[in-house]
Amino acid sequence: MKIIIAGDGEVGFYLAKLLVLEFQDITLIDTQKDKLDFAEKDLGIATITGDSTRYKVLKQAGVESANLLIAVTSVESSNITTCLIGKKLGAKFTIARINNMEYLVDRKTLDLKDLGIDELISPESLVTREVRYILRSPALKEIFNLHDKALYLMGLLLEEDTYLVNKTIVETAGLIPHNSFMIVAVHRNDTTIIPTGDLHYHKGDLLYFVSTEEGKNSVIEYAGKKTKGIKNVLVIGGSRTGEYIALKLSRYYNIKLIDKDIEKCNYLAKNIPNVQIVCGDGTDIKVLEEERLEDFDAVVSVTGNSETNIFTCLIAKEYGVKKAIAMVENIGLFDYSQKMGIDTLINKKMAAANFIFRYIIKGRVLTHLYGVDARIQEFTVKKNSKVTKKPIKELNFPKNNIISGVVRNGQGYITLGNFQIKAEDKVFIFSLPQSNSDIDPFFN
Amino acid sequence: MTFPHHNKFDIFKMLLKQIGSLQILLSIIMVVPLIVSIIYGEYYSASGFLISSLICIVTGFSLQKGFQTSFEPLHRHALIIAALGWLSIAIMGSLPFLITAYITPTDVAKQFCQSGTDYTSSLYYFKNPLHAFFESMSGFTTTGLTMAVHEPSIGKGLLFYRSFTQLLGGAGFIILSIAVLGQSNGKVALLLYGTESTGERLKPSIIETARSIWKLYLGITLFSFVYLVIGTHIILPGYKFSENIFDSINHAMTGQSTGGFSTLDDSIAGYHSLKMDMLYLLPMILGSLSLPFYFKVIYNKQINQFWKNLQTRSILILCLLGSIILSLMLMKSGVISEPFRTGIFQFVSALTTTGWQTSDVHIWDGPSIVFIVMSAMVVGGAAGATVGGIKIIRVLLIFKGIFWNITNFFSSENSINVVRFNERRLLPDEMNKELASAATFSYIYLLFVLISALITYYFMDGNFTITDALFESASAQGTVGLSCGITNPEMSPVLEFTYIIQMWTGRLEIIPVLVLFRTILFGTKPKIV
Repeated sequence: MKIIIAGDGEVGFYLAKLLVLEFQDITLIDTQKDKLDFAEKDLGIATITGDSTRYKVLKQAGVESANLLIAVTSVESSNITTCLIGKKLGAKFTIARINNMEYLVDRKTLDLKDLGIDELISPESLVTREVRYILRSPALKEIFNLHDKALYLMGLLLEEDTYLVNKTIVETAGLIPHNSFMIVAVHRNDTTIIPTGDLHYHKGDLLYFVSTEEGKNSVIEYAGKKTKGIKNVLVIGGSRTGEYIALKLSRYYNIKLIDKDIEKCNYLAKNIPNVQIVCGDGTDIKVLEEERLEDFDAVVSVTGNSETNIFTCLIAKEYGVKKAIAMVENIGLFDYSQKMGIDTLINKKMAAANFIFRYIIKGRVLTHLYGVDARIQEFTVKKNSKVTKKPIKELNFPKNNIISGVVRNGQGYITLGNFQIKAEDKVFIFSLPQSNSDIDPFFN
Repeated sequence: MTFPHHNKFDIFKMLLKQIGSLQILLSIIMVVPLIVSIIYGEYYSASGFLISSLICIVTGFSLQKGFQTSFEPLHRHALIIAALGWLSIAIMGSLPFLITAYITPTDVAKQFCQSGTDYTSSLYYFKNPLHAFFESMSGFTTTGLTMAVHEPSIGKGLLFYRSFTQLLGGAGFIILSIAVLGQSNGKVALLLYGTESTGERLKPSIIETARSIWKLYLGITLFSFVYLVIGTHIILPGYKFSENIFDSINHAMTGQSTGGFSTLDDSIAGYHSLKMDMLYLLPMILGSLSLPFYFKVIYNKQINQFWKNLQTRSILILCLLGSIILSLMLMKSGVISEPFRTGIFQFVSALTTTGWQTSDVHIWDGPSIVFIVMSAMVVGGAAGATVGGIKIIRVLLIFKGIFWNITNFFSSENSINVVRFNERRLLPDEMNKELASAATFSYIYLLFVLISALITYYFMDGNFTITDALFESASAQGTVGLSCGITNPEMSPVLEFTYIIQMWTGRLEIIPVLVLFRTILFGTKPKIV
């Protein structure tokens, strides 16, 4: 598997870092030599200095034999050009990062696939989608759509003294409506555990469930949370992410957006209908008080500075805001900010990387969760493979891996012990990094 | 390399040259009523047009050839050209009235009067140059106030000329010169275009824009003509067909230009038919809608503009509500026999600034007069149409601004409160700017109406009231043309002159005239106020 990444920016570098764990043949292209030197030393990957829109540079990177060409520079037009040229030169699959949402909105009329770009990604719109999911079920800490509205992965925090605390999973099994969801992981004291029936829930546990569409509300009920309705949302920071969140979510919520820069505020006020724009410093408590911070149900802080976002969210929590979402681009800050009490973290790089992983061979989806050391993989079951022979409980599946749901003919199923997997099913496996045993043979 | 040096006289040369080309245009225009006069066998009128046309063309050519300069007009000059140009056209346009009045023998003029009537031909009022000037100004500015007491008695040729001046004045003389002559370069043309219209570009080039405006304008006039001929024929089958054609052609021109001159002695009331009153509502409303709106509907096939276009929607709603309210007020006062017929027709006529009259406003009660002045005559139709008045878009903007200002008290200091207006989103700064210019204009406008109302009050006959004065003044300023009787050939010359100034400023939206005065008094140098 040969992968070329054009653009050694935040997304590009993070992507390379994740991909290098799985694949060896990765080439990074950028115009800045010092950045590439760092990547080369740190990740041990091949690098090429030059403009990725140049034929020569792509040729030098070996684009003819590339399975995947990912263009993620900060310049949209250069990403598009890179993909167009790359495809012509023989790259099998191309992905371009874009900033202009028009390409995503008018996908049908503007079919870039015809031209040679197989997939467009826009980290901003991916993050917006995450925010939208979270605001829809604010009791959750995270939510991922595993498969087209059939299966969801949901993460939530066990707080206070709810019914579940100090009980085992088996004891509470009666609360689970028939086959609607299952628990797949518990994150406790910085370690992730794949639970067994006799595990006790503790206060402060971060629980991960896989649920069908119908089971979503049951999960929230099971964990003793109430479904809180969100009406008023305060967005802090008018970056592209903030702009896109305001634009997309103004249909569902009353949104107020704060930004420091008057030029930017004017631009946003002119272009985003039905959103109240305020020009002021989102970290200034006086400003936030004047905007009546306590009246908001949710705060989404998406300024360019991770620390500012964390800080603003802490203030918001202090004022009794139900849901605080911070955009944290610095991954090093993840653990601490979660501990400090910020409800949800979002990260453009991870959102983009997760999305791109869907296109990497073996048919796998790798979803890296925020602050949790685990991943989810997707397998399509081949005919006569081992997994189709027996029900799950008799499979003797390797430790630290759990079969967490199946999609059959577009319908999501929760896989308890006596579930029988068939050929052509899409199976989702939740696994911990310490599990080095190979699960591939089960499916081939 | 040397730069062309311009002195003070170059500006005058440039102005005179521009005026010259407008005069040439005017002389060509006079050929049309000349032909009409010949068709109707009115040879004295025809000679009047011929002489006037010759005077215009000689003046025009001597100005154009006599004042050669490379000086190109700037923005402030564009306004001066508009103000002076219109003035010069109104002055030269009065020649046919004046000359025909002097050369037509009494027995010929007597033939114009309908048989069985005993008045002398109104043609002779035009022997007074001020009356001729008044008539011409009223025509070109699409007002419709008249010195011809008995309209038919001035002859078909002059009647046609009056209507024709309104048609030309309606869409704009300068636009016509851009469209026909096309001699100005793009920048100058744009400046000039902006002075008499909204400045909305319909096509990439201004000359193309001007041409398409004229095409649309004439197209709608033609539609009105056909509509009126057929309508009149159905409603009044006994009406003489040749008269029908002549009336309809004139009324189509004065309706589309919202001018309101009529070929009948008692305007539309002359038909003595309720159905005819209702028939004439449509041409007025058509004339009050903006030409860019028609462009969007006809060329771009945007039928939804009927309810999406703010101005069109507002005019239609205002027509409906206003005419109901006025009718009810008239009904309550009890002085009018058919309050609904009068109320609807007069409100539409006033709002669209057309000025066709079916009722003697003088006998109306005070509140009804004040209502029609405030809610119709002062407001006027859509910007970009041929109407006068403050224009509905400014009125809406000011109301929106008041609401916006009050709402602002409820949001925090740092909030940027955007105003949605006419499919645009205005930032606070932009809104303040728009609001300031709309409010300034409206204020000056109302000031003009009030000052003139006071002048009217002191110079009018004793049997009129202050509300009559207000009505007449608002009518002149808004280029409406409804009259309660103050305007007549016996009126004080001071008052007549005041109305001439009002019509002139009303058509050009005041500012160009003020710029002209500023230039005359202080020159064109910038100055700290």
